Amino acid sequence: MTTRTQGAPGTGAPLSVSAILFRIVGLAVIDAVALVFGIGLWYGGLGLAAVVLAAMTVVINVAFLSDRLMPVRWISPGLLLLTIMVVYPLLYTVYIALTNYGQGHILSKDQVIARFEDETYSGKSYSWVAYRSDGGEFLIWLSDPEGGEFLGDVQARTIAPVERADPRFGAIDPADNLPVAIDGFQKVPRLQTFQYLTRLAAERLQGEIDGAPAEIRIENLNTASLGQQKYTYDPARDVLVDNETGTEYVSREGFFTAPDGRTLTPGFAAFIGPANFVRVLTDPGIQGPFVGVFIWTFSFAALTVLLAFAVGLGLALVLNDKQLPAKGLFRTLMIVPYTIPGFIGILTWVGLLNPLYGPVNGILESALGIEPRWFQDGTLAKVALLLINTWLGFPYMLLVSLGALQSIPSEIYEAANIDGASPFQRFRTITFPLLLVALAPLLIGAFAFNFNNFTVIDLATEGGPPVPGSQTPAGQTDILISYAYRLAFAGGRGQDYALAAAISIVIFLIVAAITLVNFRLSRRVEQMV
Amino acid sequence: MHSTLRLGGALVALVLLLMACAGPGATTAPSATASAAPSAAASEEPTAAPSEPGASPTPTPPPAAEAGTLTLWVDETRAPVLTAIAEQFTADTNVPVAVYQVGFGDIRDRLQLYGPSGEGPDIVIGAHDWLGQLATNGLVEPLDLSAVSDKVDPVALGAFTYDTGEGGQVYGLPYAAEAVALYYNTEMVPTPPATWEELIELATDLQADAGLGLEQAYVLQEKDPYHSYPLLTANGGYIFGKNDDGTYKPDDVGLDSEGGLAYGRMLDQMVKDGLLRAGVNYDTMIQLFTTKKSAMFVTGPWALPQIRESGVPFAVAPIPAGAETARPFVGVQGFMVSAFAPNKELAVSFLTDYVATDTTMQSLFDADPRPSTWVPVAEAIDEADVQAFIQSASNGDPLPAIPEMSAVWTDWTDALDLIFTQAQEPDPALQDAADSIRALIAGS
Repeated sequence: MTTRTQGAPGTGAPLSVSAILFRIVGLAVIDAVALVFGIGLWYGGLGLAAVVLAAMTVVINVAFLSDRLMPVRWISPGLLLLTIMVVYPLLYTVYIALTNYGQGHILSKDQVIARFEDETYSGKSYSWVAYRSDGGEFLIWLSDPEGGEFLGDVQARTIAPVERADPRFGAIDPADNLPVAIDGFQKVPRLQTFQYLTRLAAERLQGEIDGAPAEIRIENLNTASLGQQKYTYDPARDVLVDNETGTEYVSREGFFTAPDGRTLTPGFAAFIGPANFVRVLTDPGIQGPFVGVFIWTFSFAALTVLLAFAVGLGLALVLNDKQLPAKGLFRTLMIVPYTIPGFIGILTWVGLLNPLYGPVNGILESALGIEPRWFQDGTLAKVALLLINTWLGFPYMLLVSLGALQSIPSEIYEAANIDGASPFQRFRTITFPLLLVALAPLLIGAFAFNFNNFTVIDLATEGGPPVPGSQTPAGQTDILISYAYRLAFAGGRGQDYALAAAISIVIFLIVAAITLVNFRLSRRVEQMV
Repeated sequence: MHSTLRLGGALVALVLLLMACAGPGATTAPSATASAAPSAAASEEPTAAPSEPGASPTPTPPPAAEAGTLTLWVDETRAPVLTAIAEQFTADTNVPVAVYQVGFGDIRDRLQLYGPSGEGPDIVIGAHDWLGQLATNGLVEPLDLSAVSDKVDPVALGAFTYDTGEGGQVYGLPYAAEAVALYYNTEMVPTPPATWEELIELATDLQADAGLGLEQAYVLQEKDPYHSYPLLTANGGYIFGKNDDGTYKPDDVGLDSEGGLAYGRMLDQMVKDGLLRAGVNYDTMIQLFTTKKSAMFVTGPWALPQIRESGVPFAVAPIPAGAETARPFVGVQGFMVSAFAPNKELAVSFLTDYVATDTTMQSLFDADPRPSTWVPVAEAIDEADVQAFIQSASNGDPLPAIPEMSAVWTDWTDALDLIFTQAQEPDPALQDAADSIRALIAGS
């Protein structure tokens, strides 16, 4: 018991045996889970992730078993999750951005080599019939179109020409001119052969055919073929040799490439350096609309936060009024938009705002005689998006504002009353600055979130309406992240994960920079108060 | 005392760790035990269960194919059909089959994700235009259908033929082909229009007749290249030029060809004349027809059940011709074998020797009446509307499967949007779209 008092400053109560047991069992569970995941990662080919996980697990164990590292103890699970959920994906994204991972380069090099080495050429074809013993052993009867017949022994992996006079052959079935049984091996009916296919196809039968060494393998229910391996990979020189033609394919930028420039399909994911970043920064197709998209992204995020905050705060002030009856009911109702899943809310709004059949236009037309072409006109589409996003965002602002309002001490207001401050003055000089101190970090968070709010854009407008005269896929309401999606996944050759990764890193840097500036500014605001 | 407890705890932790090891340790080498006696183990397995078959240690969403058990991924509409066929196959051959339901839209990407990791299926159901992704990435296996090729519709077989650079190979067994055709209300339209001129004339007359109460006589879904493609081909336009062997040329984009521009002007004029309107999506289109607020529209056989149910008297006709015959896009559905199938030979043989038969194809059609591409089955169909769709598909162009097609949709949709909303003249709208598509294809 002495170690505790010396080593754990700040812990007052003595540790009970059950508390120690609890800690140890907890650790054991964590370790067990980490081990299961770690082994899975290791064998799944994610060695780096497994090593990172192991290191983090060791840190946690040390932290919990050593009293000296007490402060690290409670932060270590957070660190672990941060590493797994944020740092590792970030590093992985950087890595992907430096490869050509995407359409045509999905498989790893090993997988591609294995696929090519599995291919065969020439291949005289044989039809075949299996004979099975009760013990599960097999003989294979092979017939070629010219009438040659061979008998393969699956156990010995051999093949030999058939002597029709062989005493092992029993009665001959007139239907196919084959023996019904061979020395205890019964002929397997065609439909029954299916179940042994995987097993038999795994075997290679070797022997001499027409005076040359041959290897036969079963291709499917009907054919077995005399195949030679088409490609062989030479790891020393990193080339794939075509055994049929002698062509050597060099591994180059994710393709096995022949000297004449032909490439083999499929290609594989390969490291190509900063090419994707260069493309993001120099390609006119990407750069062209970038400034416009960036300005709209910034205004979309800023206006969303501003509007949602204004509505939320306004309602919070009303709901905070002591004279308001049925306050609880109103508060509950105001939270409802927050509880409806975003994609339902968004799609409902899209329906409401349908220019032809939507009720919003129905009302506007009968009341004012106007029919705004929501979603068909760039400016109106932006207005509609802000409207939808304000609707989705204000309950959150209402919630946090309500909480913050309650934390402002009422004495200040009493003092203000005595000084004869008007309600507006009270709001401007007391409520708002004090609220801002508490809420500034949340507003920054909301801004960063909306900066990358792909869901709203994609569900409401899909980036549209298109820009007339534009030659890039950017629409008038595309924000950076939806634009990146369009570039990477609706682009020339399908999915380009590597380009998407490169663009997301650029966006990440932009958001990080803006957030940093925001924090600086908000700290200044706090200091001013 | 404290330190003793701590040591004991460490031991407990170690023991638990060792216990944890045993689990994944066993799963890392399942092939050795499974393949040693596949027949014995296999016959004990539950058959054709849409739920978890036997002991599968991995909780990953779409379950993996185990050596010995043939695993199929199919979408929800075809899962019951294939479960029945799988049960019959198990009864006939003693091979256990597991049919798993995976959303049609997810099959392709999940095959890409789970196939190479060894957790994928043996066989998937899919559309032929997935080949651009699946074949290019080496995820599906070529099939030898030469034995049955005379029983498969040539357009469908061509659609499932893909050239990755070493000559075209067949990558799937087609079983149904879908293409759009003209639905018309037989009360208002006694004989279907044979040309677009007739259709426009008829639509103008019908819309002028206030007694009918039509909102729109002819409805075309807005911003939808797929449904408007037959109009493009009727005007002599095209998306990609074709090589002599029927494969598409990605460097020849024809959206702004003479025929393409004629298509744009025709749509533009129809919008100006009030015959087409922006803001009509697929659901609105169906709803207008079933409530007799429109008399004609174009879509595929998937709408048949809904239209039949509505009780509106209708018939289906080929899409009217223009300067040329209207060729709709044909989408062919079929079975593909994963390149990473644990039972590849079994999977291939299941398709070529069990599914590709009159009996199985007939039961597929009976349970899920999509226009069959199996010639003997297709010829025996007596429903006039299904026959009309088969007719329409046989005139059509396979939806281009080349990866470059993904560059086309966005810009084409945008051009249609601009024409429908009259935000831009049709000629520049289509020219911009075509230029943008060319730039995308060249830049990738």
